[in-house]
Amino acid sequence: MTAARFRFLPDIALADIAFAASADSLGELFESCAAALTTTMVDRRTLRAKLTKEVEMKAEDSDGLLYDFLTQLIIMKDVDSLLFKRFTIEVSKDGKSLRCKMTGEPIDRESQALRNDVKAVTMHMFGINRGRSGSWDATVVLDI
Amino acid sequence: MPVPPQTKQVSDVVWEIPTSYKEGMNVPARIYATKKLLEGMDQGVIEQVTNVASLPGIVKYSYAMADAHWGYGFPIGGVAAFDPEKGVISPGGIGFDVNCGMRLIRTNLRFQDVKPKVKELVDLLFKLVPAGVGVKGSVRINQSQFEEVMRHGVKWCAENGYGWADDASMVEEGGFIKGANPSKVSAQASSRGISQMGTLGSGNHYLEIQVVDPARYFDPKMGKHFGLIHDDQVVIMVHCGSRGFGHQIGSDYLRIFDGAMKRYGIAVRDRELACAPFSSKEGEDYYGAMACAANMAFANRQVIVHRIRDAFQTVFHRESEALDMHIIYDVCHNIAKVEEHDVDGVRRKLVVHRKGATRSFGPGERDVPALYRDVGQPVIIGGSMETGSYLLLGTEKAMNETFGSTAHGSGRTMSRTAAKRQVNGQELQKSMEKRGIYVKAATYDGLAEEAGMAYKDISEVVETMDLAGISRKVAALRPIGNIKG
Repeated sequence: MTAARFRFLPDIALADIAFAASADSLGELFESCAAALTTTMVDRRTLRAKLTKEVEMKAEDSDGLLYDFLTQLIIMKDVDSLLFKRFTIEVSKDGKSLRCKMTGEPIDRESQALRNDVKAVTMHMFGINRGRSGSWDATVVLDI
Repeated sequence: MPVPPQTKQVSDVVWEIPTSYKEGMNVPARIYATKKLLEGMDQGVIEQVTNVASLPGIVKYSYAMADAHWGYGFPIGGVAAFDPEKGVISPGGIGFDVNCGMRLIRTNLRFQDVKPKVKELVDLLFKLVPAGVGVKGSVRINQSQFEEVMRHGVKWCAENGYGWADDASMVEEGGFIKGANPSKVSAQASSRGISQMGTLGSGNHYLEIQVVDPARYFDPKMGKHFGLIHDDQVVIMVHCGSRGFGHQIGSDYLRIFDGAMKRYGIAVRDRELACAPFSSKEGEDYYGAMACAANMAFANRQVIVHRIRDAFQTVFHRESEALDMHIIYDVCHNIAKVEEHDVDGVRRKLVVHRKGATRSFGPGERDVPALYRDVGQPVIIGGSMETGSYLLLGTEKAMNETFGSTAHGSGRTMSRTAAKRQVNGQELQKSMEKRGIYVKAATYDGLAEEAGMAYKDISEVVETMDLAGISRKVAALRPIGNIKG
């Protein structure tokens, strides 16, 4: 796990929240996207690492894998009431599968600074790109 | 936004972009707007309304209403009808929040009765109607009960103690859309939705106590049809949808349609315009799942109304029946439905998509509740929490021109980030209280993001639709208490 690299893009979707993430590897890119998604929902500094969850996923390509993975985090927020502070993600070389270990805690309105309730990942501008210098970039627009 | 030079002015408030504007357009696009609103629309509206005009099987026109703004795939404020045999169904034409909509209930209380109790009411409602990140509702049901909700919407609620026997009749489609098929809903979608009934969510969703504005009670005679006897009568408006359930169904089928389009040889200009032939397996499956989400949204608003009645009973020490807390109406503004309309003199079945647009059926229509059939359906238009909302009336002209559709609200003009930079949530709360609006929000950031300044002028939208004749003004509704997610 390295420091998350993402920035919010306020002019892309007025009613929603967009971000761009970048990293040196696919795994780190997924970690940055997960951190950006979580930052939209809560101030991550107010989350505690009380429990650990592991997730394994497969998809037809890396775009599909990122979409499904971020959607999984939204599902865990709604179904299990869980938010995660840290992510360690390994993505296979072909970009079609991942293994993620994440630590976090249940939603607690008293101790956490909650923000927007993210409801879906959209396909608008969605995708992973390989930069010239070999870095990985992704743009994601979240439906609020 | 620069208006394309080919644009023809059809009337003071109707503009047409011909098929020559863009290769592949099957029908012209029509925008309902004053010149000022048209020029103020973002470039995305022109691109998107003409992209929609290029979809297979679209009938007559691709429409954008006066509140149109950029959305995913279709513009928000978009209306499009498709032939059920040759045309498509598109989740992008409905919105992620399936059957996001508005419900208005009345009371027989007047402003002076409620004014001293607003704080108490809002504080209690805030407890009874959960709002914010990851909240769960108090309705505990198992999967088979949830499937009944998916099939029967408001009817299930009324039969299970969450409403009155006649509630369903005052909801669009009688409180449930036929054709719901729970077997087409993923386990993930069900698991997200099963615990969310009776929750408000966040974003621009709200529950608001409002009062008829005496200075802007445009049509008291019509208002009386809807039970608004006094010119300062108190009503309650609810704006929310199918919560995570509808969003998950949207996400699931966006992925399915993304792959299916290749098989059906459909190419679209934007991934969010993903669609499938309505008559295909994927199209039928999505319609069945979408109807489940729509019915869950009707049920969600129903459980919220049940809680609102509880809150008023507690605060006013009178039964909600004695307070005349009937539903005035409930409208969907993110939906696709099979409806019958006249097209060039021929009655046709059509798949009408309304995304950020409201049904506006006129007098005599079979689908308008019996109580209102002589006059037309109530149309509920939600504004920002600072500027208020409107009750309008559906018209025959809407039936003739826009498949019985009108606008839905005001639409943002400022991003959430920009609003937060300019507005402090705590200060906004205090300033609104000084202006007679007591607001309680799940977070101050969320409150700042929904400041009135971040939205278009709703009055101009409403005036435009009135001028166009596709909905008529009945009353402006002024907020006095508000709960935000």
